[in-house]
Amino acid sequence: MFLSDFRKEFYEVIVTQRVLLLVASDVDALCACKILQALFQCDHVQYTLVPVSGWQELETAFLEHKDQFQYFVLINCGANVDLLEILQPEEDTFFFICDTHRPINVVNVYNETQIKLLVKQDDDLEIPAYDDIFRDEEEDEDDSGNESDGSEPSGKRKRFEEDIMERTMKRRQRREWEARRREILFDYEQYEYHGTSSAMVMFDLAWIMSKDLNDMLWWAIVGLTDQWVQDKITQMKYVTDIGTLQRHVSRHNHRNEDEENSLSIDCMRIAFEYDLRLALYQHWSLFESLCNTCYTSASLKLWSVQGQKRLQEFFADMGLPLKQVKQKFNSMDVSLKENLQEMIEESASKFGMKNLRVQTFSIHFGFKNKFLASDIVYATASLMENIEKDEPGTDNFIKALDSLSRSNLDKLHQGLELAKKQLRAIQQTVASCICTNLVISQGPFLYCYLMEGTPDVKLFSKPVSLCLLSKYLLKSFVCSTKNKRCKLLPLIVAAPMDVEQGTVIMVGIPPETESSDKKNFFGRAFEKAAESTNSRTLHNHFDMSSK
Amino acid sequence: MDPAEAEFLAEKELVTVIPNFSLDRIYLIGGDLGPFNPGLPVEVPLWLAVNLKQRQKCRLIPPEWMDAEKLEEIRDQERKEDTFTPMPSPYYMELTKLLLNYASDSIPKADEIRTLVKDTWDTRIAKLRLSADSFVRQQEAHAKLDNLTLMEINTTGTFLTQALDHMYKLRTNLQPGESAQSQDF
Repeated sequence: MFLSDFRKEFYEVIVTQRVLLLVASDVDALCACKILQALFQCDHVQYTLVPVSGWQELETAFLEHKDQFQYFVLINCGANVDLLEILQPEEDTFFFICDTHRPINVVNVYNETQIKLLVKQDDDLEIPAYDDIFRDEEEDEDDSGNESDGSEPSGKRKRFEEDIMERTMKRRQRREWEARRREILFDYEQYEYHGTSSAMVMFDLAWIMSKDLNDMLWWAIVGLTDQWVQDKITQMKYVTDIGTLQRHVSRHNHRNEDEENSLSIDCMRIAFEYDLRLALYQHWSLFESLCNTCYTSASLKLWSVQGQKRLQEFFADMGLPLKQVKQKFNSMDVSLKENLQEMIEESASKFGMKNLRVQTFSIHFGFKNKFLASDIVYATASLMENIEKDEPGTDNFIKALDSLSRSNLDKLHQGLELAKKQLRAIQQTVASCICTNLVISQGPFLYCYLMEGTPDVKLFSKPVSLCLLSKYLLKSFVCSTKNKRCKLLPLIVAAPMDVEQGTVIMVGIPPETESSDKKNFFGRAFEKAAESTNSRTLHNHFDMSSK
Repeated sequence: MDPAEAEFLAEKELVTVIPNFSLDRIYLIGGDLGPFNPGLPVEVPLWLAVNLKQRQKCRLIPPEWMDAEKLEEIRDQERKEDTFTPMPSPYYMELTKLLLNYASDSIPKADEIRTLVKDTWDTRIAKLRLSADSFVRQQEAHAKLDNLTLMEINTTGTFLTQALDHMYKLRTNLQPGESAQSQDF
């Protein structure tokens, strides 16, 4: 069931209990977890944190802990399946689910006792009405009652005939109802998409309790930016949510305007920026950042020689000498940096890149530390999926969680370096795939398989990195191909997951259009394909479109 | 004594906070903590004030001496005098550090205050070093310093006493006398 008052029905219920937090492995979940942890620390709530990266881990964690805990909080997992059936909990366990995956499973919506959904009702959920899906069992008993009545002595023949008519009518109605039910459920569960960021929902909870801090606001911003970077929400929704957060930002950060009473330089400030969309450009050189951001690399077609020439024309058009541009951004001449954003935007529109600037936020603390929200997203994501040392997944999760605190700047810088490596690897893989025509058109979809020997293929054995790679690949492919039909096809990418066991991880993404509503139908499609080919598949990830 | 121990002792100082919760009077071994009512200022020891601030349950009010103009006067006076001037609080350094670490958003002109307190501290430590230096050079047996705080004493305390000890041993071994014994191998 949906909770209407998060404070009374969720927080005040768990504040006196021990709680188990099950958190999925994506940056939005990490941010929501951080906010919730901060609230728990204020009120001394005892909790245990278990990171989970798939359904199997969720089940194992649940089985391990079900005797010790009655209250479970699931972040970014569990809304889109029938949780009670999978976990088989006792009668007195309660689940609070804060998940962005849609559509929400109908059993979770209509269960009144054990499942509580921390979801904002103003997301357009389009849930089918109760009567359309569930039918009381009593009507069947009436039927059977009537039947036994009907088998009385045949003296009442007319009534017998009427009874038969009634029964057949009822059976026909029931069949029609079931057919309609199947249709409604199919339409409802066909496409997968994402709702409001969990970090924003948690921030709202903190705000309702008047315990919101600037730190929590920053985590909410990072959670929303993660959804945008991963292309999980539409542009309109992103802009609307930015507007909501902008109100909170001005409320917390208005003291910076006043010269007399301004805060100490060590205090954290958040500012609204209409900044360039280039990944990590303030921590890298402008040249590298332009080469390794999907939007610019795809529009300029940087995998070809023509593209490289066009890049140099671009810099010449702006009047930036190549030597300056290849330096670290912080060491560039101040005179060049002054009007950089406007200059780049003007030149970019001449080269066909109209949306180079995007609304976002930046954080500023101390004299040296300034980061954009997208920088933090890339850094945290690459820390979480770090394959450099063979540590268990939970260590990476905890490191990524720590890097979100302002006191762990060294971890953040490590994350930034890893993110740079990851972005470079993605660009090189994309360039090689397009140049060697590895993207094959297979009828209704495009297909690409990364061989085992491809450099950096180990980086792509994790779902989030592979998703990022597929999105970049599709964008670049759409810009590179002349075939109009191919531009509208969805893409499936497969990469080896574990070389020893010979398993492969697959991701499917919807076609690239200007106004896509980001709905993904691959969840159901993969399930059907697995059934019909009898292959051994593990639908492990919470995002149904990764297997 | 460790600087951490000195800080621990400093945390007993009372500061004013404005809580946002309500609680009856609590009776602890170290003393009573008055009833807490939302919006009404109450005096609590520093350790409790910092804990409540971290849990977002109160707002800290800086002590009256923690003001940019007053601290500027104190600093200027310290620079003029040769001896140590009395400080607004026997724990001024620890209080400044703790309050500026945890509650810098409720203290106006926090950066200036930090600089002024550091300037005052530097002047006083310089005077202390000068005085210790002349004490050793002139081999005096007795010195009296007023208005020093515990933290400042700590910076030179151990070193000074151990150094004087060593010097005494060296001096006694210089004088040839019946008490001097040669070492056996």
